[in-house]
Order: sequence, then C-alpha cells, then structure tokens
Amino acid sequence: MSDVLISASGLTRYYESGELKVAALDGVDLLIERGAYVVLAGRSGSGKTTLLNMLGGLDRPDSGSLVIAGQNLLTMSSAGRARFRLCHLGFVFQAYNLIRVLSARENVAYVLQLQGVKKKQRFQLADQWLARVGLQGFENRRPDQMSGGQQQRVAVARALATEPDLVLADEPTANLDSHTGESLMDLMRKLNEERCTTFVIASHDPAVIASARTLITMQDGKIAPVETL
Amino acid sequence: MLSLAWRNVVRNARRSLITVSAVALGLASLIFLWGFNDGVHNTMMRNLQQVIVGSIQVHANGFFHHPQLVKTVPDSGLVIRLLKANGIKNFSYRLRTFALAAGEDSSEGLVLLGMNPDMEKKATRIAAKVDHGRFIHDNDEAACVLGKTTARNLGVSIGDDVVFLTEDRYGALAAEKLTLVGIISSGEMGIDRGLAIIPLGFLQQMTAMGGRHSEIVVQLPPERLEPVTAVLRAKLGKSYEVLRWYDMYPMMKQWVELENAFYYIFLSIVLVIVAAGIMNTALMSMLERMHEFGVMMALGCGRLRLAAMVVTESLLLGLAGIMAGTVAGLALVYYFHGAGIDLSSQMDSVARFYLNPVIHTEIDNTHLLDTVMAVLAASVAASIWPAIRAARLEPVEAIHHA
Ligand SMILES: Nc1ncnc2c1ncn2[C@@H]1O[C@H](COP(=O)(O)OP(=O)(O)OP(=O)(O)O)[C@@H](O)[C@H]1O
Ligand SMILES: [Mg+2]
Repeated sequence: MSDVLISASGLTRYYESGELKVAALDGVDLLIERGAYVVLAGRSGSGKTTLLNMLGGLDRPDSGSLVIAGQNLLTMSSAGRARFRLCHLGFVFQAYNLIRVLSARENVAYVLQLQGVKKKQRFQLADQWLARVGLQGFENRRPDQMSGGQQQRVAVARALATEPDLVLADEPTANLDSHTGESLMDLMRKLNEERCTTFVIASHDPAVIASARTLITMQDGKIAPVETL
Repeated sequence: MLSLAWRNVVRNARRSLITVSAVALGLASLIFLWGFNDGVHNTMMRNLQQVIVGSIQVHANGFFHHPQLVKTVPDSGLVIRLLKANGIKNFSYRLRTFALAAGEDSSEGLVLLGMNPDMEKKATRIAAKVDHGRFIHDNDEAACVLGKTTARNLGVSIGDDVVFLTEDRYGALAAEKLTLVGIISSGEMGIDRGLAIIPLGFLQQMTAMGGRHSEIVVQLPPERLEPVTAVLRAKLGKSYEVLRWYDMYPMMKQWVELENAFYYIFLSIVLVIVAAGIMNTALMSMLERMHEFGVMMALGCGRLRLAAMVVTESLLLGLAGIMAGTVAGLALVYYFHGAGIDLSSQMDSVARFYLNPVIHTEIDNTHLLDTVMAVLAASVAASIWPAIRAARLEPVEAIHHA
C-alpha cells in the first residue's frame, strides 16, 4: 500500500537576472510516499534549494501543481501556508536555525507555543525531544553556548516536536565536520525509521547521500530518474 | 511572546539602553519644563486669587460690569449661610464705591474699597502686600491704604491726611478725612493706581450703607472652584451673580492657555525626535534579524505575529523610557518644588506682582498624563513602519540573509 505524501507535477520556477531568464526548476514531477527518506543531490545551482522551498510553501512556482498531505499548496493564502507549515512541516536549515535569545528548550517549545500548547506541556515535550536527540543537560543552553552540531540537533528536535508529516532539511551538515555530520544523519535516519516521519534532505555531502533510502539527483532544474537503493 | 520580545530588547543591551535613555531624557525634560511652566502659571493664578480678587465673588446681578453703591448683595446673610453649609471658612465681604481723593497737591478719582481687616485676612493676603506702613486694622478707624502711584500723584506719604469725597446712598455728598497708614507698591496698574482701601465699617457709615455689602469674596482651593460655583449659582438665583476669578479677569487664564498650547507644540516636536530614535532602533534590530525572522516564518509564525513582536519590542523600549523618564522628571519637579528656582536676578526691578521671584515647580496631572501617553503613542507609532517591513518579508529572501 503506497500512501502518497507529496505529489508534484510540472513545477517550474524562473528567476530573472537582467535579460537572462533562468529556470531554477524546469518541469519537476515528483511523487514521495509517506515515511520516505529522500536525499536531493545535484550540483550547486541545480535547483535543490528552490525545490525544497516549493515543498515547504516558502516559495511559489510559476507553473505546475503541488499537493502535500492532501492539501493544494498553490491555492493557499500566505497565512494559510504559514498555518500549514506549522501543522505539517518541520524545517532544518544549513545554519543559524535557532532563535538566538531562546534556550534550547525554548527553541523547541517555540513551535509548540505557536500551536497553542500549554507552557508546562510544551517544556515537557521539548525536554523529551532534546533527550531523544542526545542533548539531555543542554536544555538551558543558548545557541551561542552550543556547538554547530548541537545546534543542528536542537533544530532537528524542533522540526520533529510538532510531529509533522514532512521534515525538510537544506544542507543540514554543510557547516559541520564530517564526523558530526554523520552522527546527525544517523539521528535523522533513526527518527525516520522509528516514527515514519518523511524526510527530504537536500545536500551534496557524500555522507548524506550515502544515508539516502531514495536518492533524487537534480540537474539544471530537472530530476534525473529516481533510483531506489 | 512578551518574554521573547523582552529578550530581544535585552539582547542588544547597549543599543536598547541608549534608546531608553533618549526617551527617558526627553520625557524627563518635558516633565520638568511642565513643572516650571505649571509652577509659574499656578502661582500667578493663585496669587491673583489670593491677593485681592478671590476665587469667587458674589454680587448683586450686573454689579461687576456696572458697579453702583446701591446695587448691593440682596441677602449677604443667605450667602454666608450657604458658604458655611458647604464648609467654606475663607470669605469676606466688602463695600465698593467711587470717590474723589484729595491730597496735598492734587486730587484723583478712585475706587473706594471698604474691607473688614479681620475678615479680609481669612479671604485674601492683601494685608501682607503693604510695603510701607501698615494695613488697616480697625473696622472703624479713619485710616486708608493707597497704591504707590496714587499716593505719589496725591503727594501724600504715611501719616498724611487724605480727604475722600463721595455720594451716600441718597445721593448726598459725603466727605471724610482719613490718615494714610499704608502704601502698596505692587507693579500692578489696577492696584498701584486708582484704589483706596478703607475700613468697611467706616465706609458703611460714611455712605449710610450700614450692614450692606457689594461683594462677597471667597477663597477656594482650585479643585473646589467649579463645584462651589455651581452650588452657589443653583442656590442663589437670578438676583445674584456668582463670578469665578477668570470670569472677572479672563486675560490671565487665556494667557496661560496660550502658553500651554505652545508647550503642546513643543511636546510634539520632542515626540518626533523620540519616535525617530525608537524607529531607528526598531529598524536596525529588524534588519539584523532578517534571517531569524525568515526562520520563524518558515516555522509557521504568521506575519501578524511577527509584526506584533516588533511593535511589542518598541513598546517595551518606550515603557522602560517612560518609567525612567517619569521617575527622573518627577524627582526634578519634586526637588525644585521644595528648593525653588531663584529667578530674582532675572526679573527686572518692577518684580511682577503676581509672580514670586522663586519659582516652585509643580505639575498638573493632565499635563503629566498627556505627556506620558503621547510618548507611549509615539513609541508605538515609531514601530509601525519596521513592523510593516517585517510582515512583508518573503521567507525565502529573509532566510537567504546571512
Ligand atoms: N533569488 C534568486 N535570484 C536569482 N536567481 C536565483 C535565486 N535563487 C536561486 N537562483 C538561481 O536558481 C538556480 C537554482 O538555485 P538553487 O539555490 O535552487 O540551487 P542549489 O541546488 O540549492 O545550489 P547549492 O547546492 O549551491 O545550494 C541557480 O541557477 C541560481 O543561480
Ligand atoms: Mg541550496
């Protein structure tokens, strides 16, 4: 039984720089099942970030269609997409994911607060998630008191704390050394297996690519044929 | 949300502190200036009332604009009973008429004001304003107090005789010789010139007006002025007129209002500066957090919420500045209320009669409240543009910011 989480077709996004019209995405068709662990690979400039932004409802395509978790992202208002992100998505960016003035616990709890979870409960959940990503004892640290790898772990905990359908990660290991990067990938892989949360990770880090269950390679805004490992 | 905004404010402590100090300094100066302004104005208005005019005067209807000896208060006993029933102790009654005064050299027409010296002390401070000699102190003595200019015109000095010529209630000529016992030099035209104060009993006898009074002068604290006026007007009816000090001498009140209007203009200029300072801070802190704002939006923080956070941050800056500024400003006002600001060297020799050379600051509650609310409004207004900019951010572009 395949349960489709993401279904996109003909996604196209142009960028105009002066006279030149660049197709960052050029007719991307995509089907991703619930529980998948997808790595988007491809050269720099191939359109990975652009695609991820589309999937996250942060950017709109010039044409094409996009349905995630049964909802058409392209007909939503900006507020609707914000609500959609809050309820269905988790994000991990390359770096500086965290709100600087908040502690690790508060950063994780922030999204729960946006969802309206009561203070005591959201702090409890946050602590559980921090423990799950191996950051027990770091609850009260501010981002600037943690290493890059620890910060990324907090970001992962935050992305998962709302129990989203889909976690999108753009170069999550780019600012980490290879060992730290690998352990972050192990963590994400483990969470994917335990909780069946869908991950889509854009990266050209070989370690990340090696961890993929589904590898999608992009080239000039297009997708090379899907290969399942 | 409040705690997040608060931490964002505290994060750049130095910049926030500078902004808060600027707001506090602006507000403290405004409060102090109001303190000076209100101190001067209230002193002048108090002095006008306390020296001779009183807060309220009760006359026979029409007396103030067309004073006549025979147009006396219909029933001064009733008025006094009313005043006492309202717990008012500071009042006096007087008799007023016109007279010709003749001294050594010349004569001059003037207002003859009969006062009961003991009673007058409860209502006004005119007795203390005598510079040379003394005030009248016996209700029936043949003594008079003149203004400086009149005394000079008449060529009389303390101890000299002054002859007063007037009509009694039947229109018959009445003349009396009184000894000049005191001279008032006020710098006020209406007092220095054209006024003679003589004992009430003496004047009543001279004019055959025994037991009659032309004005009842009431001294009141400012907050009782309007309610007491209303009570008196309601109870006394049409044959009386109940006039507040500014009904009789509107110039000073109008002048005070004009000056206050200037202060409000000045206030709005300071507000613009305060707002510009806050806006600069809000904009700077917004621009340096673009990436963070982008991440927050990606997480699902709505535009409105983001804008509200920016506004809250400015509001916190404004509130902190308001608290510090109010404390500092009121401390200054309080200090100079006690210590006073000595302006005697700045005031010319003819010291303004109604103004004391030492200004004691005080502030009207409405002025304080208006100023504080205006600064608060300015700090919110200052954040509107940064808030709009934050709300308009596109998440992708914002996240792209390093
Ligand atoms: N804001 C923009 N304005 C103009 N062109 C853009 C913009 N963002 C991306 N592009 C262009 O779109 C194309 C795809 O960019 P994208 O960022 O998606 O690549 P990527 O695969 O994420 O690259 P990298 O691995 O370097 O992150 C590139 O040619 C890039 O120059
Ligand atoms: Mg990229």
